Amino acid sequence: MVIRTPLLLSLLVTLAALVHAIPTLRRRDADIESLYGITALRRDHSGKRGDNKQKYFHESTFHPHYDGRFADKVLSYDDRRANLVVMMKTYLSAMHEIGTETWIMHGSLLGWWWNRKIMPWDSDVDVQVSEAGMDFLAAYHNMTIHHYQLPGEAKGRDYMLEINPHYVNGSTADKLNVIDARWIDTHTGLFIDITALRRDKEAEAKGMKGVMMCKDKHRYEEAQIFPLRDSFFEGIPVKIPYAYAELLEEEYGTKALTRVNFEKHHFDEEKMEWIPLK
Amino acid sequence: MPPPWKRIVAAPASRLSHVPRRVQRYFVIYATLLIAAWVSWKWIFQPDWESNRAIEKSLNEDKVFFGSNMRPEFSDMIQIKSMDTRLLPSDENFKQRLVIVGDVHGCKDELQALLDKVKFRAPHDHLTLTGDMISKGPDSAGVVSLARSLSASCVRGNHEDRMLLALADMRGHHAALPGPAEDPTDAQDLLDEESFSHGDYTFRSLAREFDDKQIKWLQACPVILRVGEIAGLGEMVVVHAGLVPGIPLERQDPYHVMNMRTIDLDTRLPSENREGTPWEKLWNKYQSHVPPQSAERSSVVYGHDSKRGKNIHKYSFGLDSGCVAGGRLTALVIEAGRKGEVAKTRTVDVKCKTYWQKSQSKTNNKSET
Repeated sequence: MVIRTPLLLSLLVTLAALVHAIPTLRRRDADIESLYGITALRRDHSGKRGDNKQKYFHESTFHPHYDGRFADKVLSYDDRRANLVVMMKTYLSAMHEIGTETWIMHGSLLGWWWNRKIMPWDSDVDVQVSEAGMDFLAAYHNMTIHHYQLPGEAKGRDYMLEINPHYVNGSTADKLNVIDARWIDTHTGLFIDITALRRDKEAEAKGMKGVMMCKDKHRYEEAQIFPLRDSFFEGIPVKIPYAYAELLEEEYGTKALTRVNFEKHHFDEEKMEWIPLK
Repeated sequence: MPPPWKRIVAAPASRLSHVPRRVQRYFVIYATLLIAAWVSWKWIFQPDWESNRAIEKSLNEDKVFFGSNMRPEFSDMIQIKSMDTRLLPSDENFKQRLVIVGDVHGCKDELQALLDKVKFRAPHDHLTLTGDMISKGPDSAGVVSLARSLSASCVRGNHEDRMLLALADMRGHHAALPGPAEDPTDAQDLLDEESFSHGDYTFRSLAREFDDKQIKWLQACPVILRVGEIAGLGEMVVVHAGLVPGIPLERQDPYHVMNMRTIDLDTRLPSENREGTPWEKLWNKYQSHVPPQSAERSSVVYGHDSKRGKNIHKYSFGLDSGCVAGGRLTALVIEAGRKGEVAKTRTVDVKCKTYWQKSQSKTNNKSET
């Protein structure tokens, strides 16, 4: 059998084109191989294998507050706290530079209210961005690395902004992906959860106006959040929801705004600090 | 022979007829009086007595109340300003007066009519506005320009607050966003505006009514205006909504100062809801316990609560009588007493047209008040 060379060539070209034309299933998550060079680890410590396939963010196998792609151990209590403050500062500063408005909620808002700092016993920080802000971050800043020079650290540190592709699905039924994005410390594996505030389409369908929600099922009146106010948190510019006093009272009750002894700490009015009780 | 039941019914009546008419009449009168006394005690005096007792109790309690935190501070918001003491009422030369006017809400004609009624003499008399000068009414920019032309003092109300924040947000974005006023025919454009403006586009379009000088003037209105010492009233302070007694002005939470209506006696946490004790009740009780010569003696002039309307007490002057909704516009006129004697205060008001109804606020129920 003789096949003429031109035919063979054209056959090859067609085949190659076909292969390219067939849509291939691409990975949606950034696994540890894709992060070599950014992470110091070689082996993945994320709980990915045990997680549901639809879940995007995987917490570590050893602790839910760590990203297993970047950490293989937990920090000491004090270390973790110090890192939390630095993470908040770098996050706020990055968002301020990018120009995406982000504001603090829940425990962080309460900490701001008391003395514009993270409360010493708070184990995480709570930040939100608008839906438009999340679109912007997803379109232009997903998987970006942000380098910060920290005092006492010669090399500085890298933080990664990672957007959950499921953020486009605004349904609270998507329980595996309630966190829309993360600000991850690539050195310690600690992260800040970022949630997008969206219009509550279900409520709007029922004729209620101005209702907002997050995928974590928190609901707010739009007029309580917007327009945002400008203040400072841990010394960095931050946005504060409009009716902060009302939101805090609704969420934590009057006692949280009057009690000066809390979680083995006492609020010192002179120093404006939470002092641990011995 | 009447049936037995009729005898039974008739019996007491016939027995009663033995009682003299006069006694019968007195019995009825006394019974009525007794019921009246009981009803007024139950519905008027007892609740009042109980609320007073609760306030007294709260004032005598020695515990940590609301207000230990660091005062929330914001860029572009002035917490306190002190008025120039030369503007205070005086009985010399021109007998200058202080005229403080409640929530104007863009009712420029009414403000002018009220100034005419009190025979306001610029530049001797000094005008001060208790916030919510703008929005809802027909001519917000006109009110601001009139106030500016009279070099009036002002405080920041919740409506100024929301408008100025919405404006800052508008200016802060990367690109200029289309406004509802700019292209009302383009439905897509409007939707876009709605999704970008977080529902406060009524405040955004309001912001566009002002020129830069007017915006600057509004931004310079402090949350708290320290008017100064007025004989018999102590230190006079103007705010939009209210103050928490016992907390220094520097540490009053600006959100509450612009929004409060009531206060929780147990924690002294103020709230804009109507459950709880009206804040001015606690304020007046607190002031009655402060020695007359003490530096803590203070009276507040405020607006904000049109539902309660004009509300004058010894140490608090509530001036919002719902002008924009067809109520009245009220001024507090303060004249100096002769040779340092107690100052004279009186209120003057004018009738307003109805420009605004509660049902008009569709987009945003927080802007109702």
